[in-house]
Amino acid sequence: MRTRLATVAAAAGVAVLAACSSPAPSGEASAASCAPAKGKVTLQYWNTVPGMDKVVDLWNRRHPDIRVETKNISNDQYGTLGNALKAGKAPDLAQVGYDELPNLRTQNAFVDASACKAATAAGSKFVPWTWSQTSFGGTGVFALPQDTGPMALFVRRDLFEKHHVAIPTTWDEYASAARKLHKADPDLAITFFDPNNAEWFNGLLWQNDAKMYGYSDDKWQVTVDSERSRQVAAYWQKLISGKLVRTDLANGSTQMYAAYQKDRIASYVGAAWGYSMFRDNLPKQAGKWSVVPMPTWGTDGTSGDWGGSTVAFMKGSKHLYESVEFNTWLNTDPQALAMENELGGLYPAATAGLRLPSLRKGVAYYGNEKIFDVFAESSKKIDTNFAWGPTQKTVNLALQDAMAKAAAGDGTLTDALTAAQGAALTSMKDQAIPVAAGK
Amino acid sequence: MSNPSVIRESRVSRTAVMALMLLLAVYFLLPVYFLVVAATKPQGDLASTNGLVFSHFNLFENLRVLFTRSDGIFGRWALNTVVYAVLGAAVGTLISALCGYALAKFRFRGREVLFSVILGGVLVPTTALALPLFLLFSATGLVNTYLAVFLPSVVSPFGVYLARVFANASVPQELIESARLDGAGEFRTFFSVAFRLMAPALVTIFLFQFVAIWNNFFLPMVMLQKESLFPITLGLYEWNGQTARAPLLQQSVITGSLVSIVPVIVVFVLLQRFWRTGLAAGSLK
Repeated sequence: MRTRLATVAAAAGVAVLAACSSPAPSGEASAASCAPAKGKVTLQYWNTVPGMDKVVDLWNRRHPDIRVETKNISNDQYGTLGNALKAGKAPDLAQVGYDELPNLRTQNAFVDASACKAATAAGSKFVPWTWSQTSFGGTGVFALPQDTGPMALFVRRDLFEKHHVAIPTTWDEYASAARKLHKADPDLAITFFDPNNAEWFNGLLWQNDAKMYGYSDDKWQVTVDSERSRQVAAYWQKLISGKLVRTDLANGSTQMYAAYQKDRIASYVGAAWGYSMFRDNLPKQAGKWSVVPMPTWGTDGTSGDWGGSTVAFMKGSKHLYESVEFNTWLNTDPQALAMENELGGLYPAATAGLRLPSLRKGVAYYGNEKIFDVFAESSKKIDTNFAWGPTQKTVNLALQDAMAKAAAGDGTLTDALTAAQGAALTSMKDQAIPVAAGK
Repeated sequence: MSNPSVIRESRVSRTAVMALMLLLAVYFLLPVYFLVVAATKPQGDLASTNGLVFSHFNLFENLRVLFTRSDGIFGRWALNTVVYAVLGAAVGTLISALCGYALAKFRFRGREVLFSVILGGVLVPTTALALPLFLLFSATGLVNTYLAVFLPSVVSPFGVYLARVFANASVPQELIESARLDGAGEFRTFFSVAFRLMAPALVTIFLFQFVAIWNNFFLPMVMLQKESLFPITLGLYEWNGQTARAPLLQQSVITGSLVSIVPVIVVFVLLQRFWRTGLAAGSLK
């Protein structure tokens, strides 16, 4: 068991780097066959998207021969999925976050759909970095991208103007803006640093090209603690130490909204799917918010991604052909994408989705600005070589533990990177996955 | 008739007790008050205004949204909860009454052993039984049906225990004997004599079961996948899990919670007379 796991993990690792010209992994089962079924078929599709049942209804009305049943697993997505896998009762298709793909692949949870022409052909329809992650660098088709969270900076334009501070375009400017705002009003912080949100922090690392993992010499190379990630950590540590950002707020919490409501925070480093958070929770601040590109680390305007999901082809599905048909429609058909955006707040991973009518219009809450242009631009600038590790959850937890300590003055964010690096190495060794500390 | 043995409480102790009761009442009612206040607010006021003070009154709009969201699925959940709770409690009470009566009034081999086993069942939390039940129902193909939640709900060891105590206390053996002498069969005796005498106790059992099923969450969560079979508890939980993507769901979860506790309060107020007599009668044994 251990060795098999290790082989599969190594296979997943090989796939991490698109450019890598390693030999085909031997442990991997070859792509499943893709013959259409005779007669009617029912597919199970588990997801966490509000309103997804409506989208599926539309499919079911149009395709009486491929009936899809949905189950919402919002509350314990990976627990439910993990139990079903163990019990051999996994659905045909399931929503899986990008950062969870390598873990589930290591556990052999997916089936490679590359025997289906429609699946491989879909590659060109998605934003490049998403396809690179779902295909593990082109070694198969294990999932189709569904939505993304290209990052941008939400700013309270009125507060910046009130204190005569220019909207920052680089992180250096952002730090000096933080000082100016704080000086003008001691109760005002430029943003908050949520120590319990590793996913968000990972997005910041991603933006600075701080790759957490690589693959070479038949081993995973862990680079969670690297020069580039340290740059990000040191930057935020400085803001925390200077009490220029708050560390007592959890993202999306009532306390967070209350702080924004009281004009105590002037900006928010967020993702595309978050545009409705302020609109719905702080309606009185309509017209005061703007969305601008993420501050950059230098002259090159790279961006990061926070969140987003894929729809994965699950092992044990007896209807791969039909699964591909539905999955492709679900994530590339303009009408489906529009519904998912409207009902579930999904920001599409399909390039055609970025041109949806609803994403080209000005948004009233943001003073009729075309905020989605900013996200679309951000989406294009996301590094396609960033990869997640097979024990990402463990690493995230270790990171959060240490970040919480740093926020409380015990240690620094750089220590948190060291801790996360250690957790990555140990957790992979524990699973007999070949691993080394990379540079 | 004056009774010298009644101890007159001092004013101080009375006041102290009243103060304590008042404190407890506030403690228990505060969350309910919060719920009422929050349910009247629009989503935008939830985080931005004081939680215990009314702001913009938006209750009716909230209710409209709640009952029309996703083609009125909330109404369906409410109906399901009512079906599970009322039917389940009624059938459960009847079974408990029959069992308790039989254990109290018939002598048969193994009676005490049987009773001990049932008493032991009181000690097993229903949560611990949910997974074994799931496997059992999974094997019989009952998972994801009304029966999956309904069948386990009608079983109540505690109800049997109470019914036995009550049958012993409130149904005289002589009355049963005379009913038998008059030619009544056992079922006739039970339904026209014992059942009526046990009525206050049965209301207690009904209430216990009703509340337990109404609040039941884990069992339906384990058993059900189809949204259309959900009780309110599970439905609201599912909505609550989606608030990150659809913030406006939060208000519906709160309004839905308020709506879901109203029937329980009504049932309690209507039946509390029985409830008290039942509890007191039970405590005699």
